[in-house]
Amino acid sequence: MTNRKMKDAGVEPLLGYLLGLVGFVLVSEYIFQKSEFAKYFVILASLSVLFRLTDKNRINFLRSTFGDKVKNRIRLFENAILCLPFIAVLLSHSFFTESAALFLASMVLALVSFESNASFTIPTPFSKRPFEFAVGFRKSLAIILMSYAIMPISIRVDNLNLGIFSMALITFVALNFYTKPEPKYYVWAHASSPRTFVINKVLVASAHLSILVAPVFITLLAFFPTQFDVILFYSGLSFLFLWTIILAKYSAFPREIGLSEGIIIAMSIYFSPLLVALIPYFYIKSINKLKPLLDDSSR
Amino acid sequence: MIRVDELSKSYGKNMVLSGISLEFTKGRIYGIVGENGAGKTTLFKCIAGLEPCEGVVTSDLTPLKNNLGLLLTEPFFFSKITGKEYIRLLCNARKKENVDIDARNIFELPLNQYASTYSTGMKKKLALTAILLQENEYFILDEPFNGVDIQSNLVLTEVILKLKDLGKTVLVSSHIFSTLADICDEIYLLKKGAPIKAVQKDGFKDLEREMKAGTIGNKIDQLKLK
Repeated sequence: MTNRKMKDAGVEPLLGYLLGLVGFVLVSEYIFQKSEFAKYFVILASLSVLFRLTDKNRINFLRSTFGDKVKNRIRLFENAILCLPFIAVLLSHSFFTESAALFLASMVLALVSFESNASFTIPTPFSKRPFEFAVGFRKSLAIILMSYAIMPISIRVDNLNLGIFSMALITFVALNFYTKPEPKYYVWAHASSPRTFVINKVLVASAHLSILVAPVFITLLAFFPTQFDVILFYSGLSFLFLWTIILAKYSAFPREIGLSEGIIIAMSIYFSPLLVALIPYFYIKSINKLKPLLDDSSR
Repeated sequence: MIRVDELSKSYGKNMVLSGISLEFTKGRIYGIVGENGAGKTTLFKCIAGLEPCEGVVTSDLTPLKNNLGLLLTEPFFFSKITGKEYIRLLCNARKKENVDIDARNIFELPLNQYASTYSTGMKKKLALTAILLQENEYFILDEPFNGVDIQSNLVLTEVILKLKDLGKTVLVSSHIFSTLADICDEIYLLKKGAPIKAVQKDGFKDLEREMKAGTIGNKIDQLKLK
């Protein structure tokens, strides 16, 4: 599936994997340079990837197609492959116990499956303005709660970096809500011009992200008042990244954000002033992409 | 009124719609029938502006899409969105923000449950409720009766007739000819991407007979059932 997606985007799979690996190493090294709690981020990121493969329907499909024995072998193999880069990063920083624990966890996760309770609807503060945050919040509730759990630790150990990391993690989760394009119908249904549509998406997303990060932001301001400029800077950056990802999504619509856009966005993590150019660039591109669907006069 | 002039659509070399010109007037219900692959769904998507195509689509209310309720054959629902949130999303999209969704839940759907857990029929009823609450002037309903239970089909028929009474323009496709014959004022028979026949109410019986003869022919004998 990943190979096919890369080919559709005009990228040789081998090159794609290579670039992905280089990007992964660069981002992890950056995190290790910036935070002493980087190992937790790596473990969390690895677990969130592994959890995605434990969906009950997927496991049932594997079981019915290959039988229990082969299904278990496939699951153990794919989990081992997936956690390998994360373990390599941990080992390169001499976190031996954590690496062993992660590997063990990946093997356990290979043999279980999870099914969300369909009859129970997770309440969300984003119900009034569906859909991205309402859907994303429910899908990522566990990782959002984990991110919140980091905040009191940052206060206890008196480490603002960790608090900022908690905010960054929530933002990262929220950015993930916008990585996949919705079916065309959900854009077409809007009685708006492309410009109004995009601006409205950005405004709603900003309001929703504010709700998500507010507990962390307010607590950090209360406990680290002298460093309010740092807190403000990083929260501002969160919103800039959110706007970038939304605009990037619609600049590629109806296809997914391509590798080239992904690389440019990844570069802006290293060099955030790039966002100042990226936002208007993606904005203009998204207006043009949405014209055929939203601007009736273009027919 | 919706007017379609010289509408054509092709996927590569495969011509799906070829130069279709039709007019749908206010307060009337139009049926579109044809075999699988005749181009019904593509025609609907092209009229709605959901698919790019050649030709011109005009309407008395512009832009057409902002006044059009489109029910797709298989509506898509996100995995963690409730029925109520889906309706709210579509109403918000048309700037109808204070709709009393619970009071207007005529199909008695479990609106607080995730829409993805609904049955096929329930999904269709949910999508239909959403476009009805958008208060559109035009409706395109692609196989609205499919998968829907008999009681809801009765309600659906009455809803469509009510839309006609309110002066709305309704286009319906269905493979159930008798239902279309009950509600439609005019039926277009589509074949290989072109309307080969337009029939008024008094000719529906002949059309059904003709379709039956043309479709069935000697196929049953060919089966050599014993």
